[in-house]
Amino acid sequence: MARRDLWPRVEPLLARVERPARYLNHEWGCADPVAEGDTAFCMIYPDTYELGQANQAVRILVNAVNAAAGMGAERAFLPAVDMADLMREEGVPLFSLESCRPVADFDVVGITLPHELAATNVLETLDLAGIPLRTAERAEDDPIVLAGGPCAYNPEPYAPFFDVILVGEGEEQLPETVALIRDLRASGASRAEILREIARKVGGAYVPSLYRWRDESEAQKAGSWVEPLFEDVPAVVHKRVFEGFAESSALEPMIVPYTEVVHDRLNVEILRGCARGCRFCQAGMMYRPVRERSADNIVAAVREGLAVTGYDEVSLTSLSSTDHSQIAEILTRVNADCAGLGVRISVPSQRLDSFGVEMAELVAGQKKGGLTFAPEAGTQRLRDVINKNVTEDDLFSAIDAAFAAGWRRCKLYFMVGLPTETDDDIKGIASLAQRAYDRAKAAVPADQRGSIRMSVSCAVFVPKAQTPFQWDGQISPEETLRRVGLLKRSVKYKAVDVHYHDPKTSFVEAVMSRGGREVADWVEEAWRRGARFDAWTELFNEGAWTGAAEALGISPAEIAQAEYGTDYVLPWAHITAAVSPKFLARERERAASGITTPDCTFENCAACGACPTLGMDIELQKLREAKDGGEPAKNPYRAILGSEANVEEGAML
Amino acid sequence: MADPRLFRLRVTFRETGRLAMLSHLELARALERAVRRAGLPYAVSQGFSPHMRIAFGAALPVGVGGTAEFFDLFLTDYVAAPKALAALQEASPADLYPVEARYIEHKDPAASVACPVSTYEVVFSEAPVSVVVPEEITVVRKKKEKTLAVADFLVGPVELDGATVRFTLAAKPTGSLRADAFARELVAATVAAGCAPATLHPTSFMRVEQREA
Repeated sequence: MARRDLWPRVEPLLARVERPARYLNHEWGCADPVAEGDTAFCMIYPDTYELGQANQAVRILVNAVNAAAGMGAERAFLPAVDMADLMREEGVPLFSLESCRPVADFDVVGITLPHELAATNVLETLDLAGIPLRTAERAEDDPIVLAGGPCAYNPEPYAPFFDVILVGEGEEQLPETVALIRDLRASGASRAEILREIARKVGGAYVPSLYRWRDESEAQKAGSWVEPLFEDVPAVVHKRVFEGFAESSALEPMIVPYTEVVHDRLNVEILRGCARGCRFCQAGMMYRPVRERSADNIVAAVREGLAVTGYDEVSLTSLSSTDHSQIAEILTRVNADCAGLGVRISVPSQRLDSFGVEMAELVAGQKKGGLTFAPEAGTQRLRDVINKNVTEDDLFSAIDAAFAAGWRRCKLYFMVGLPTETDDDIKGIASLAQRAYDRAKAAVPADQRGSIRMSVSCAVFVPKAQTPFQWDGQISPEETLRRVGLLKRSVKYKAVDVHYHDPKTSFVEAVMSRGGREVADWVEEAWRRGARFDAWTELFNEGAWTGAAEALGISPAEIAQAEYGTDYVLPWAHITAAVSPKFLARERERAASGITTPDCTFENCAACGACPTLGMDIELQKLREAKDGGEPAKNPYRAILGSEANVEEGAML
Repeated sequence: MADPRLFRLRVTFRETGRLAMLSHLELARALERAVRRAGLPYAVSQGFSPHMRIAFGAALPVGVGGTAEFFDLFLTDYVAAPKALAALQEASPADLYPVEARYIEHKDPAASVACPVSTYEVVFSEAPVSVVVPEEITVVRKKKEKTLAVADFLVGPVELDGATVRFTLAAKPTGSLRADAFARELVAATVAAGCAPATLHPTSFMRVEQREA
């Protein structure tokens, strides 16, 4: 088929839409169109360019496919509403950026599922591309449509829309999948044969159409909601891990956008995973085991990355950057490299203690904006329940250090609706924030106290698949508002302000997070009724979602709010992040008793099962120093990669 | 403030092709990044939020490109102009391409006001029989309608050569007539007078010259 170039039809539209730079391609660092004859993969982020171009996963996966022989990747993003409507009016389908060809003309299309509110945008993307929404409706010559990303850990609400859902880290898994499709297409295999082969051969690949969906009672008896239709497709899909992460280059070649995107900066991923073990946190369960890249690798990547991109900001990213065993060395060296260049260095995911503040101070320079800490809960009791191993003293010592060092603004993140939460815990948020303010005041010279700002930001707890709280329900939106009201009334200080997340969107998140395959119909109906861009507060269309539920006769509230015992088989029981169901159940029981579990990168193995299941170790550059300064405990699954690697860990203890 | 220890390099560049769709802010950011990639010894402002010492010429409307755009870059060390140009070229995309670099005096006017007179060239989808220049143009500025007399801004005649129209506008300290607004009204008046079909539209729109008043 001759390539169709849509640019002559796209260009005239650009004068009529906002931010045409979203649709231009031609950025610094952008790749050539996929070569003629190569298998063409289109990587799509189901939201606008500003969000998608900044996404590290998209960048990694496009680079991974481009690095493999015989295939190439291009990018596509969902156009903003004005452009999407104009394209429909003018009959222009969704196009890729690099060659500006229809997405439907690609051999393989991959859509990342970054969060639960992107579901209707998946359908908007497919529809705009002219690809049939459901796998069952796709013809032989339609692209194979893949999904991946965090939401793959409960894939069922998306199951009918995707041919293949890839679970886990995609660095190797995605090029493998595309290569398999390429080879099978070349040998004349049918679509059905290709999907079956992917399910058989690609680790972490879930092909929903090869499984029968059971009803609840059957699922509870069978221990799984899905029954493989063929003996050779896996009954349980295990996530993939990129085992070479720690040793791989921290420099991820990137495109430098023209229009301003979120996190518009060089990103250097310094470590992957976090084993602090917060019981609500899906990422903490998903990316085990923890793997650190070396200081040399990271420092070189920052230097080279800034030189090739021209960025004036670099972020050292991970789930818990200040936990890196060499973080002080890394920040000191990066700082020295960037001296006098007007380059900002940022470290997200602030550790909540004075060490975290010391690290922030190392790179803050003169400009000290705000610091953000996440105590997550207002009382020690509830922090123990969620295993947020942070005390008031930790928070206060962080506040003391931050305000003494010159910061004047601090944001505290909390969750409302956590399991076992009572009104006392809500009042505890107000009390903690006010006492934090008092500490800040004491640390600041009298004439500067007027500029102190303490803000409280509350998200609604969303139970996530593959976490110890997966069996727990979300509180109703009305109850959320009551608790937020109580919080607001409990805050007496004018300098402490309270912000909260809209419970209506958190409700949709919870349904998407916990639902089974029946939720897909709800998503499609909501989209047909006009829901799209649900994550954009001003575009969230509540009526479309409630109308869809009524029309289908389903009760999303039940899905979001039901609480189950740990013996209940959940709709994602056939997907595993390598953390064992036993561990999750045990953690939930410990939560109920208020017993905490230590971080295995510092202390004992918590027996989550990830390392032995995957045949991997936690990979650290050197021993992480225990918080109390004591000897780090022994852990059989911990490997030291750095210069101390020649020393047997056990021998040091 | 002029720091006599710094070197003021004026770089002329082309903004062509699709990159004519960039906003002024997007363009400014792209140029700063090219300077960083070029590894030039750019000066950094002192103070709370250090940033590159760079100054941009008069902004172009989105959709209008240019062949003689420029910015002033302050350097802490002298780099021979041809060498600086070569480094910038190496670090720039083809549609945002530096074509000249020369050192200028600190006392020379700021980049944003140095060249208030701009000549534009618009290539239309077809050749009009003639063009009709409107006398007045109503524009919306800060939500208020304002009527501008074209004669106050237009310098010399509007030239028509086949499908190409060439005109020169001068910016006034009190305000200016945007080239895209002028072209839009020119098309409307020309079509209304029956000198061109209603489908008449620009296929290319460039600022081709900028000069002092």
